[in-house]
Amino acid sequence: MRKLLQLVFGDAGNVVSVAAALLLAWITALWQPEAAGWVAAVALLAAAAWQAAR
Amino acid sequence: MNATDWGGLATIFIAAGVEWVEAFTIVLAVALTIGWARATGAAASALLVIAALIGLTGFGLNAIRADFNIIRGGIGIFLLLFGLRWYAKAIRRTAGRTRLHDEDAAFARTRDGIGGAEARVAWVVAFKGVLLEGLEVWLLVVALGQTVGYGEASAGAAAALLAVVAAGIAVHRPLAAVPENALKMFVGCALLSFGTFWGVGGLLGETATWPLGDATLPLLFVFYLAAGRLIATLVRQSLSGPRGARA
Repeated sequence: MRKLLQLVFGDAGNVVSVAAALLLAWITALWQPEAAGWVAAVALLAAAAWQAAR
Repeated sequence: MNATDWGGLATIFIAAGVEWVEAFTIVLAVALTIGWARATGAAASALLVIAALIGLTGFGLNAIRADFNIIRGGIGIFLLLFGLRWYAKAIRRTAGRTRLHDEDAAFARTRDGIGGAEARVAWVVAFKGVLLEGLEVWLLVVALGQTVGYGEASAGAAAALLAVVAAGIAVHRPLAAVPENALKMFVGCALLSFGTFWGVGGLLGETATWPLGDATLPLLFVFYLAAGRLIATLVRQSLSGPRGARA
């Protein structure tokens, strides 16, 4: 079960990265909805760079 | 099927292919120890478990009467969680921070690990190896099957399995020549693209957040691919001295 949860969610850093990207997208959507998705994409890139460099 | 469905199907085929290559290496190593009949029996048992899981979850998700956007949003979030790891790992390998997956080395490790073990232990090694790789295929089929269709998604994964088995039988050794990291980068970009599109669109409204509609998907893919290469180059350059590659 633990292995399965790890397969789905990854580590805490992974979950926080995705949550932060979606939160940023939600905040952006309040003012500029059409930019929200791309803000999420850039945030995910930053998260991937952090995961790759750590 | 439209272009988005074909993209989803290609992602399943390639991702499943990468997982089946790793599973094949384990089964091959076990087969040389306890024979093909027992090793393929173990692999077939694990595949039956995966097929049952796909059937059960597909049936269960079809029975849920939830809002389409909520389902898409949920699947998008799952694909982001899953895809971000594939993507980051592919970048690490491209940058040289993690060694490339070596099927020959994995084959040798598995053979060493089961050397002298009882046939029952070797059988379990093959079963667990195929089951663990297959669980990732199951998750992808369930996630992308919601849009592509479970029958099509399952067929894509099965086609990848047949292709890997056919190639394995033809060369009769681990499939070390498969460019796994390039394929993993492709899959990571595709999963992130679908995840971003469905996750943000499902949660915040697709027409408001993605005015270009489905045409956004190839743009997201190219964006992630180009940025991934750039990040890998930057990470490689930031590596100081010989401490780079680590397992």
